Amino acid sequence: MAGTVALPQVRPVNPGLQFLKVIPGVLLLAAVGYAGKLLEANVGKYAKAHHWTFPNIEYVLWAILIGLAISNTVGVPEIFRAGVATYEFWLKAGIVLLGARFLLGDVLKLGGASLALVGIEIVVAIAFMTFLGRAFGLKPKLTSLLAVGSAVCGVSAIIATKGAIDADDEDSSFAIAAILALGALALFTFPLIGHAIHLSDHAYGVWTGLAVDNTAEAAAAGALYSDAAGKLAVLTKTTRNALIGFVVLAYAFYWASRGQAQAVGNKALFLWQKFPKFVLGFLLISALATAAFFSKDQIGALANLSRWAFLLTFAGVGLRTNFKALSKQGLKPFAVGAIGEVVIAAFTLGLVFAAQRVFHW
Amino acid sequence: MSQQEQTVAEPAKQRGLSIDAWAVLLAFVLAALVRAGVFKHIPW
Repeated sequence: MAGTVALPQVRPVNPGLQFLKVIPGVLLLAAVGYAGKLLEANVGKYAKAHHWTFPNIEYVLWAILIGLAISNTVGVPEIFRAGVATYEFWLKAGIVLLGARFLLGDVLKLGGASLALVGIEIVVAIAFMTFLGRAFGLKPKLTSLLAVGSAVCGVSAIIATKGAIDADDEDSSFAIAAILALGALALFTFPLIGHAIHLSDHAYGVWTGLAVDNTAEAAAAGALYSDAAGKLAVLTKTTRNALIGFVVLAYAFYWASRGQAQAVGNKALFLWQKFPKFVLGFLLISALATAAFFSKDQIGALANLSRWAFLLTFAGVGLRTNFKALSKQGLKPFAVGAIGEVVIAAFTLGLVFAAQRVFHW
Repeated sequence: MSQQEQTVAEPAKQRGLSIDAWAVLLAFVLAALVRAGVFKHIPW
């Protein structure tokens, strides 16, 4: 069962053979992403020239739709899979480069506000998912994985927690499938809801960063709304990601105290190992930009490099999502995830409305 | 402890850099190349 969902690769990249192995898939990501860009530029023009009414569809959605079409019809051939799985690598490189578009003061100000919201979101999400998991009679470790996936950062958090609490492969596969399926749905529902209730770019970006679990989907759902919303979504999601170590550590303690996981030795080392290093890279690039290390043109160049990296990520989001494989992963974890996500999305939307009043976004 | 039990209890140590570290490294190399003027303009 575990093999039916294409799990993102979290293994260290061996620069030798791995490099050659990923080239076909990376070229596929680039081709799909660039096709999305071309469609954005030309479909609107073509429709206008022929006096058709056609909504302006951004490259983000085109890239995801083309990827979904390939993945759910002909499938992604084996030769491309290793390269397609690098979409998380491009996401992280893109986030680091995106740091050039933020002044460190803004990061600390926005990040500080986000941190307070993220703290509330994590506590509520874990409590509610744990309650739901128990109510639906899910296995306790599967419930823990779903809770941490919904509360912090999707697949990465589930993989980190799986190792820390000695969860089964099957449990992590169920949890990942549920989180990925719900992330795919969020791509389409969040922008629609945001537009329907006229959320500002700022409020929408923060909401997406708080409520969408996987970082790639959060970045994509933000970018689908607007460039500014995309930036805020990534910043808020990055704040959430930064807390992954603390949540995983708490779960490791909990399961170790019940004698069902290994005890944690060096806590500081544990936190460092789980801490997403790209957050530090993002802060460092932001600090360099704040210190005027880069000229205005250079910041523009770094911003465009970040967009290219995200383009590969968005193509990867579509290419790795196979609805048939996801649907085989069991109804109960999906139901728990879906109910939890709807409640967390509604709760975080309320938080964002309250924060709008406090911080005058 | 048997070989199999050891494998389960002690996950294999990571060799080389993690994906995160490679992503940060790539981003910094690109930033350095932009700063040095090797990439003057990146089109979008």
